[in-house]
Amino acid sequence: MVSALSMSCLMSGAVNAATDPSLQIPGWQNAVPDGKDTPTIDPMILYSSGGVDGKMAIIGIPSFKTYRHIDCGVDTHEISFGGSNKGNKNGTPDGKFVYLNDKGANTICEFDLQTGYLARVIALPFPFGVHHIALSTDGKHLFSTGEYSGKMAKTEIKSGKTEVIDWGPSPSAPDYIDATRNGKYVFAGNYYHSTVGVFSTSPFKLIKEIPVGKNPHGTDINPESTMVVVSDKLSATMTVIDVDKLAVKKVIPTCAGPLHSVMDVYNKDGGSYRAGIDSPDGLTSKYVYESCFVADANVKVSYAKLEVVDEIPTHYRTGHISISPDNSYVMALNKFSTGLFSPTGVIFPVNFEMWDAREKSPTYGKTLRIMPVDGEPHNAKGLMAYLIKDWTKGQAEQGGLIDKRVDLLDPPHRALSKRYFIPKETTAPGVKTVDGVKEVHMKAFSYGYIPRQVRVNKGDKVRLFATNIDKASGITKNPDVTMGLTIYGPYGQRSNMDLPRGITAVHEFTADIAGEYEIFCTHFCGPLHLEMRAAFFVDDPKKGPSNLAVGDYEQAQHLPGLLEEGQLTIAQRVKGL
Amino acid sequence: MKNAKLKIGLIAMTSLGMMWGSASAFAAEKRCTAGGQKVECPTITAAEAEAASAAFLKEGDDMEHGRGGSTYGIAPFDYLTGIGKRSAVAAEGVKAGTYKTESGYGHQQKGSLKTELWDRVNAPASDGVKDKSVYDQWANNWSPKFGETLVAGADPTHGKSYYYSYCIACHGWLMHGDGPSASELDPRPRTLTRGDYMQKKTNLELFTVIKGGGEAVSLSSSMPNWGNVLQDQDIWNIVAFIRAMQDVPPPKSVAEYLAPKSTFKPIKGDVDALNASKSADFKDAQELIESDMTGRAPGSELVGGGFVAGGNRAAPTEVAVKAKK
Repeated sequence: MVSALSMSCLMSGAVNAATDPSLQIPGWQNAVPDGKDTPTIDPMILYSSGGVDGKMAIIGIPSFKTYRHIDCGVDTHEISFGGSNKGNKNGTPDGKFVYLNDKGANTICEFDLQTGYLARVIALPFPFGVHHIALSTDGKHLFSTGEYSGKMAKTEIKSGKTEVIDWGPSPSAPDYIDATRNGKYVFAGNYYHSTVGVFSTSPFKLIKEIPVGKNPHGTDINPESTMVVVSDKLSATMTVIDVDKLAVKKVIPTCAGPLHSVMDVYNKDGGSYRAGIDSPDGLTSKYVYESCFVADANVKVSYAKLEVVDEIPTHYRTGHISISPDNSYVMALNKFSTGLFSPTGVIFPVNFEMWDAREKSPTYGKTLRIMPVDGEPHNAKGLMAYLIKDWTKGQAEQGGLIDKRVDLLDPPHRALSKRYFIPKETTAPGVKTVDGVKEVHMKAFSYGYIPRQVRVNKGDKVRLFATNIDKASGITKNPDVTMGLTIYGPYGQRSNMDLPRGITAVHEFTADIAGEYEIFCTHFCGPLHLEMRAAFFVDDPKKGPSNLAVGDYEQAQHLPGLLEEGQLTIAQRVKGL
Repeated sequence: MKNAKLKIGLIAMTSLGMMWGSASAFAAEKRCTAGGQKVECPTITAAEAEAASAAFLKEGDDMEHGRGGSTYGIAPFDYLTGIGKRSAVAAEGVKAGTYKTESGYGHQQKGSLKTELWDRVNAPASDGVKDKSVYDQWANNWSPKFGETLVAGADPTHGKSYYYSYCIACHGWLMHGDGPSASELDPRPRTLTRGDYMQKKTNLELFTVIKGGGEAVSLSSSMPNWGNVLQDQDIWNIVAFIRAMQDVPPPKSVAEYLAPKSTFKPIKGDVDALNASKSADFKDAQELIESDMTGRAPGSELVGGGFVAGGNRAAPTEVAVKAKK
């Protein structure tokens, strides 16, 4: 009854909320300082990757209250609703599944939206290092970027079959990815090449590289699939690519440290798109909102004018950016909360900030809600709440929820290692052998690790010491800078270190799987956080030094310790998918 | 063999652990080489490094507490009254045009749809700034632009962007070896402006230490190998920026800051970005470094040392800035 009521309210409200704020929507929580803060039935839900906490968070919009967290693995990254990629970044979801890639474990988690449980884990081939995923237009495939190997992949969701292709030369870091809404192209930024690669979807291959500004990040396609907007992080610009010509259309100076973009979406009648009600075809967009990490702001860019039309301050250092499904609110996923919240330990929370994007609202451009957030979320996508049915009162026995055995996975994402903090060590960086244990001493700074490459032998007992030596985050100077250190793949759950300033983290584990595994930072520490990388080589003396071609990569794909046999779909390598 | 020391360095790299036991003893020794002679390394003192660290820590603290132009702390973001959008439509209970902001920015634009931040970007008259320099400094990395280069085929202006991003934490904003992390490192990072030292270091040595890290030339492991992050041309551009800053003192004025005068004179017979592809020494050094570099898969597309157009980088033959004669 409750859900039926909120749904009918929503259906009238969603159309008008963006265009006429004077229309009060029953059950809608207007964020005004009236001293009331009562629970509400949220018309929209935000699904957020938890980042370093290895989970997916579920948050109400606009109440901005966290509902729950669901376990996925090590370091979760990009959310993508199943259905189709038509529309804006929220897609045109069918309400069945949501996918979340785990950068730390090199997997894609599949969650059943209706049960709210992790249903399946797709383990991608090694070496790869999945940064980001994008759904195909027909909803049958996921495209992904192999940030830690210079590779790209196309995975059939049902079978897990995966085609992996190289994107050289090295250094190569495929990063953000998006697919056109007509099934034709995949666009992916490469922040070492400073280009955007254009891939045909079938056959899956690189057809062109388009030079853009320095170290591009967000690479986002508009609903019409006519333009790709690229956030040129170190050039302070947005490069707009013309999809028909596959060439740069315009370079717009936007702001300091642009990272990501999100756009609004409208149905054929000019109202906001309603999943499951409106046709997913012919969707359009008016504005693109870009996050500006260094400038502490979000900028609003008009698609018609291709220029910045407004700039909204945020608190502080926005990384990803999200929009509510009805276009009313923009959510800045802020990476720093300098001075904002009470300390709860050595790690400060990051925050989500919701600002009013309704141009005619009296609170347009104002921050309506700000909440501390667990983990270090990378991206979040909004869903109309009516797509999730109410199963809480026994409705499942009437059918419609499950028709076969559904494993409710809850993988331990902290396993196979002993971990502790010690007072800040001053040992020089490098590897020493102490009582038969390889002691690896690493220092983390803005923005890198010392040493940059670590080599141990297969079978070595490893004691990894890591110290954040920053006084404040480089470039942006936030003093509450936390870093992370995760060795992706089979060592993801054994490393996954938190590096707050002032103490040294130590993890002990056995290096039993050979290969080259990238080390990366799991707490957003500054505008060059993504470039904060190193490599962990486990050499098998029988095979010689490991590299991307030499390693126990088949064994690595089984993710020992993370999942039990039978809970895993091993993504087989194929050609010509 | 000219690159024998490179080989030695790379052997050390593959068996890490040889060098670290006595790392602290290196600091006072003449362990640096310039022009074939052992010399004391050009670094700042421990006390100077500590002072530099403390200064940066204070900058962070000032920012958090809203001092020195920061809007942190002093600009709360509460529902309707803090820093943020002022609207043409008055909020309930608040008369239009009556907003006064604690940050001091923005009240010129009565009821405009622009934010305070927008005003800040456009340099409010109250700051006495009439051009776009505030925006430029903030967004466009307002800093020297170079009309000529001391390394043929490399552009110091582009090298500067990467230097400011990757190198300042240790080598410092002005290359004096006084970055905020310098005090944490032993040996301390080089002062890259010291002409008596740098004039004797060849481009090949600088390129190699940036791409392959300190270990590639038997120096400190604290210098990471940037070849896993930067394209070769980016590294050449950084070399050009370093050359453009030789013996440049801390600037006394903005004009001086924007027009640094380098004393560097290109070394005869040295490798540069333009002729590197023809140099046997350069080729040998690259092969050694690439053989142990992360992100490579021999025999596939994933090999290093190529050129990719992007990030406004130009191929050595296309670099527009002319080499200084």
